[in-house]
Amino acid sequence: MTPDHAKPTTGAEVDCKAALESLFEFLDGELDGSLEERLKAHVHECRPCFERADFERRFLAAVQAARTEERCPKALRERVLSTLRAEGLGA
Amino acid sequence: MMTDAPGADTRPTAPPEFSAAAIAAMDDVYRFARSLTRDPSDAEDVVQDAYLRAFRSWHTFQPGTDIRRWLFTIARNVFLRSRERGQREVTLDDEQSAVADAAQAQEAWVRGGLDPILDRTDLGPAISAALAQLPESFRAVVVLVDLEDQPYEAAAEVLGIPVGTVRSRLFRGRKLLQHSLAQHARDAGLLPARPSGSPA
Repeated sequence: MTPDHAKPTTGAEVDCKAALESLFEFLDGELDGSLEERLKAHVHECRPCFERADFERRFLAAVQAARTEERCPKALRERVLSTLRAEGLGA
Repeated sequence: MMTDAPGADTRPTAPPEFSAAAIAAMDDVYRFARSLTRDPSDAEDVVQDAYLRAFRSWHTFQPGTDIRRWLFTIARNVFLRSRERGQREVTLDDEQSAVADAAQAQEAWVRGGLDPILDRTDLGPAISAALAQLPESFRAVVVLVDLEDQPYEAAAEVLGIPVGTVRSRLFRGRKLLQHSLAQHARDAGLLPARPSGSPA
């Protein structure tokens, strides 16, 4: 399965294959309203798809939680600002 | 999108918004540069060059649009230019996709193994390490969408690729990430051995 495969057509009922192909887009909020609603309905009615969606949702949450709050080093920030001031920043 | 500024005589003074918005986004740009370069020193070079270029071409920024997207785009261009790898990336992409597809073939094992550990609060370092190992073309998309909360369209603009390619790389990148995490869990003794025939 890859996301390159055909998506469910407008107005058509979503089956498992179509649901799984569009699952990440569904979880990312990237589907249009109609398809999102039909896919949501399928996922809530289909236990295997529900479990798969739950797994992917938890995986994405884990990745997002791993986002570090690493900050730009102070020395770099000062170097950039110094360069920009030389270019006219704050002039 | 990025253009060098005209001569110093005609370049207008940068507006206060540059300081207020662009400078405030430096942490995000630095993290993005780190994800691209995987090297702190290289990332600093990218940030420095990107901000200089952004400042000189600030007039190309459209007010009301996402300044992080604009800065990410410039940083990405600086990175590609520094590595001179734009053409090489296309060649590698097929191989990377094949690896991702092979990893996906073990999806049941990956999912079964990861499922019990996904809610652990100590997965962060393993996820960061797995992200760093992703091929650059996948890593950039995953970082932009999953860590920097950029929509597909924005990621496509930053990376200069079609939205469909973002969708495909995101899918494969996430599957590779899951596979790498499963390997980590296996090495940590949390998962049974990988079935035969799975990718290394």
